[in-house]
Amino acid sequence: MFFAFLESFRSALAAIFANRLRSFLTTLGIIIGVASVIAVVSVTGGMSAFIGDSFASLGSNSLTIQSYTPFEDLMKGIRSRLTPADLELIEKRGEGIASITPVLEANRSSQIKYGPQTAYSLIMGTTYAYQDVSQSYTQIGRFLAQSDNLTRRRIAVIGEDVRENLNLPENPINEYVELSGEWFKIVGLLEPLGDVMGQSRDNVVLVPYSTMVSILGNQAQTDIGIQLSLTPTANPDVVISQLTTLLRNAHDLNSNEDDDFRIQTAEQLMEQFDQILGTLTMVIGGIVSISLLVGGIGIMNIMLVSVTERTREIGICKAIGAKSHHILMQFLIEALLLSLLGGLVGLATGYGLGILIANNIPDFPPPSIPLWSIALALGFSGFVGVLFGILPAAKAAKLDPIDALRYE
Amino acid sequence: MALISLTGITKYYEMGSQVVKALDGIDITVKKNDYLAFIGSSGSGKSTMLNILGCLDKPTSGQYLLNDKNVEALNQNELSQIRNLEIGFIFQSFNLLPRANALSNVMQPLIYRNIGFRQRKQMAMEALSRVGLTDRIDHLPNQLSGGQRQRVAIARALVTHPSILLADEPTGNLDSRTTVEIMQLFDELHKEGHTLIVVTHENEIAQHCHRIVEMKDGKVFNDSRTGKDSMRVAV
Repeated sequence: MFFAFLESFRSALAAIFANRLRSFLTTLGIIIGVASVIAVVSVTGGMSAFIGDSFASLGSNSLTIQSYTPFEDLMKGIRSRLTPADLELIEKRGEGIASITPVLEANRSSQIKYGPQTAYSLIMGTTYAYQDVSQSYTQIGRFLAQSDNLTRRRIAVIGEDVRENLNLPENPINEYVELSGEWFKIVGLLEPLGDVMGQSRDNVVLVPYSTMVSILGNQAQTDIGIQLSLTPTANPDVVISQLTTLLRNAHDLNSNEDDDFRIQTAEQLMEQFDQILGTLTMVIGGIVSISLLVGGIGIMNIMLVSVTERTREIGICKAIGAKSHHILMQFLIEALLLSLLGGLVGLATGYGLGILIANNIPDFPPPSIPLWSIALALGFSGFVGVLFGILPAAKAAKLDPIDALRYE
Repeated sequence: MALISLTGITKYYEMGSQVVKALDGIDITVKKNDYLAFIGSSGSGKSTMLNILGCLDKPTSGQYLLNDKNVEALNQNELSQIRNLEIGFIFQSFNLLPRANALSNVMQPLIYRNIGFRQRKQMAMEALSRVGLTDRIDHLPNQLSGGQRQRVAIARALVTHPSILLADEPTGNLDSRTTVEIMQLFDELHKEGHTLIVVTHENEIAQHCHRIVEMKDGKVFNDSRTGKDSMRVAV
């Protein structure tokens, strides 16, 4: 049986390579299917490996509170807001909070100028507590101070990217930059933090919270974000439920109304990303399995043609002593090899695509292919080969030698 | 002792409501080292005869003993094995595998005996040199002449050392000169002790054989010796 098996293998390969173009076209369905699986998995795999790393650096015991407006309300022109009063309430009544800071993002132009240079960056009004909450510290100069906030000083702490984009000197302290038509003195340069999800965390300008409020003007419209870090002993779930009760009361929400804010931990953010990625992978996987199915049907089709074409050969082999299982094995191995080769080509193509995608999107994490996806892709294509090869192979094995020999 | 013994062999085909009696009560024995020709016009049942003798087909009734083994009780796979072990086929249209070269074609039957490559090759080379074809063994069938193809086919039949060589119109696709060559090869094989059964409609070919069985309407019409046995003794 062994040598017969070996010989089936060899002759299957010979048959595949004798009709190179046809074999290629036959397996194209499998190639495309596997390539898309691998491309998607490698890209999302790279992303989720990266998300894990970057969220760990966000600090795991910090909470973010933001206003949340359901889409329906948004259409009605209603916007939920978190106000400075909410901040004050949490500061006074919240428990288990180590430090808390408002974050007010510029909602209009976030242009920043230095001499002839113009750059765009995330401009946030916040307080000295932001330092602890987000674990970003200055490498040169100082951070925002309490007094800066009280006196609405026009000072800024900038990230490394901003310094580079504006061509500021290595030590930018005491240089002036222009923000919304106001001049700000740089008092500190933050330590580089790297990227999260391909977005730089160093492209930030921090100004005192009350300075930001005054720049933004209309305080009635202010919607702030609140970031806080917890004391080491505090249980995040308890703090979240306490804050929820506080804010619901402050916002006069009935028990049948939904929260008009969201309290999130870094972990929740990570889980959300993972969930989105997982769903994406599954949806694409579903689409791709249809293409593998189509690819399998293509293989079956060509194998059936091939059995018909080789009817006479099958007759010859049977006449000189081939048993049914010899013939079955030969065609089954051919179908299996076809789809496995397709799977391998697809694997290489998919990985290449993944690299291409990752390289063409700036700051995108490098693709990583988990071993299970390779095993799955090859296993699945092999399975498709066997599944769709069985019918033609059985048809060949069942042929009557006399009829097959007479076949023209 | 008879190598082949047929008793009351019939083969009926149903064509719609009609029953065609391709073979109608055949009794025949073939001894070892016999050199036999079945002749007859088309429709006489000689091809059916060959299929039955070659274990490609099973008779409707009757007993077929090959080497004292009852063949009719066997299933398709067992028949395959018998064909592989006992029978060497030589066809009119050569029936070589088109994508395999001459050597591979000759090695093919040995695969089903699960023989390793090295030994397969050695046995095939022996068979090929027996039929006088040693220099073009890496050629594909369509790169060979008709006579060379039939030599490859004969080598393929010989390589398994079968009990019987069954030839179905072996020279039907060959020109007259090659026909002579192939028939000379058959004569030599017979002298070496092989048992040959040739199905033909050409009297000339049949005259090479020592025994001629003439068939008509599925029955043996005439069974005679050509008297060449004595010649062979003389040689």
